[in-house]
Amino acid sequence: MTTPLLDPSESPVIAPVRRRRRLKSGRVTLFVVMVGVAVVMLYPFWVMIYNSLMTEAQFLAGKGFSLGSWSALTSVIPVGQEVLSSTIICSASIVIILLIGLPAGFAFSKLRFRLSTVVFLVIVSAMMVPLQAILMPEFVNVTKLGLTGGYAGAVLVYAALGTPFSVFLFTTYFRGVPDELIEAGIVDGLGYFGVLWRLVVPIAVPAIATVTVLQFIQIWDDLLVGLLFIQNTSERPITVGLAVLSAGRTTSIPQLMAGSIISALPAMVVYLGFQRYLVKGLTMGIDR
Amino acid sequence: MTLARRRQFAGAVFALPAILLVLGFIVVPIGQAVYYSMTQWDGITASWIGPSTWNQAFHNPTLWTALRNNALLLLSVPFALGLPLAIAVLLHQRVAGWRIFRSIYFLPTAISWVVLGLVAQRFFAYQGTLNSLIHFFGFSATNTNMLGYESTALSALGITFIFTMIGTNTMLFLTGLATLDTSLEEAARIDGAGRWRIFRSITLPHLRRFIQLAFVMTVIALFSALFSLIFVMTGGGPGYATTTMEFLIYQTGFNQGDFGTAALYGLILFVLTAIVGVVQLRLIGSDE
Repeated sequence: MTTPLLDPSESPVIAPVRRRRRLKSGRVTLFVVMVGVAVVMLYPFWVMIYNSLMTEAQFLAGKGFSLGSWSALTSVIPVGQEVLSSTIICSASIVIILLIGLPAGFAFSKLRFRLSTVVFLVIVSAMMVPLQAILMPEFVNVTKLGLTGGYAGAVLVYAALGTPFSVFLFTTYFRGVPDELIEAGIVDGLGYFGVLWRLVVPIAVPAIATVTVLQFIQIWDDLLVGLLFIQNTSERPITVGLAVLSAGRTTSIPQLMAGSIISALPAMVVYLGFQRYLVKGLTMGIDR
Repeated sequence: MTLARRRQFAGAVFALPAILLVLGFIVVPIGQAVYYSMTQWDGITASWIGPSTWNQAFHNPTLWTALRNNALLLLSVPFALGLPLAIAVLLHQRVAGWRIFRSIYFLPTAISWVVLGLVAQRFFAYQGTLNSLIHFFGFSATNTNMLGYESTALSALGITFIFTMIGTNTMLFLTGLATLDTSLEEAARIDGAGRWRIFRSITLPHLRRFIQLAFVMTVIALFSALFSLIFVMTGGGPGYATTTMEFLIYQTGFNQGDFGTAALYGLILFVLTAIVGVVQLRLIGSDE
């Protein structure tokens, strides 16, 4: 054939080519829109970085850049101390949430006892109770127990608020574990604790990661509990430090922004590193 | 003990810490709140008054202002769902670099709402980004100060709330889209269905459960997670313009020292979230 364009057998080849070209211009538009959305989503980071690179005077004048706010940061915001507090509160709470949630999830899924269904429902329902709804009795109880003097009060409140979700997640997760595995462990003389520790925990690693990541971001970013359940300013987590500082009207905004960056960094690292566990946790319950 | 007995016993023991923690820190305080809501209570001594406190509370105009603010903020929910849905559909087209875009879009989700509140304050401030944008588009005589006026402060809070929800909801919808069978869309396209038609008849019905879950999570966040934003951005003001139920509880208890009324407001919030919670449990339970 010398005139391929007239050959009907060639037309299917031409059609996709034309189609692809139209798609391509569509793709470019799409790409531009996505860049636009990206600009909006990156805006907070730009605000923080841009404003932190000024001194108070430069900020008020609206021009000039320096690292002055960063070098003087620790004299205004005890960042080191606050990050340490956040870290201690976060890790202690998460350890308790895991130590309590794991065995409970195992029990509710595999070692069902009398009324365990009802008890499970009560615990899962507690997931829906916001702290604000029980704030006053909670505050008075924890204060009366003398737990607001250190980290203990805040840690216990976070642990209690995080436990229902972790119990729900572990229970759902362990339902997929075959009963035979547990029976085999018992027959081998491991005992229930041995089965939990040696057989169940090792296969629960993805669920453990999900609970840890979700709770880390939740607790690291929280304000209310740290604000009310920690009395000493020297034990304040960083979110509380920033919020209280911003409420005082004399605060230098560049330094507040520098502090914000420091507070945001750990959660962002965890977030970017463990995104898939977060997604898993969020869609738990409808994604089975 | 028989084997079945031993298993039940082990289950009860494993579940016990979770049960105690949830009882002590969530269930018991709800009961306490019911009692204290009918007392005059300053956190130390409580004197019984009776159910008339409830009657009194509902005559307090501030309570109605807070409830109205919550109701008005519900208007932001369609945007907090619609925008992420659009963004998720864009991401699902998988243009070049979509993974990077995805990470960028999710990134603000990792940041504390305390920090996002500080950034939003910079956005809405008199010398902030919003006015710069308005001037850039040629309206140099126009100056806004949304957080400074009773008429606009709540809208500014609502807009900030929409922004803070974009990451989580986009993530949910994207997960939903990933489970969509692409051959279905392909078949519809071959049958001559347009994009909008495919979206309406295939994509949306498929996402139903994800949209329901996002809706519930967004409403719950609206009722119980705005504290950080309000604390940092407005302190509930101007006047009571941005005081929602959860913030009213905090103010009544900790600024006015009226623990009894604050406990009562807490129960109102509890009932509101319980209604949403029932919907949530039905969503989770409808599979079983």
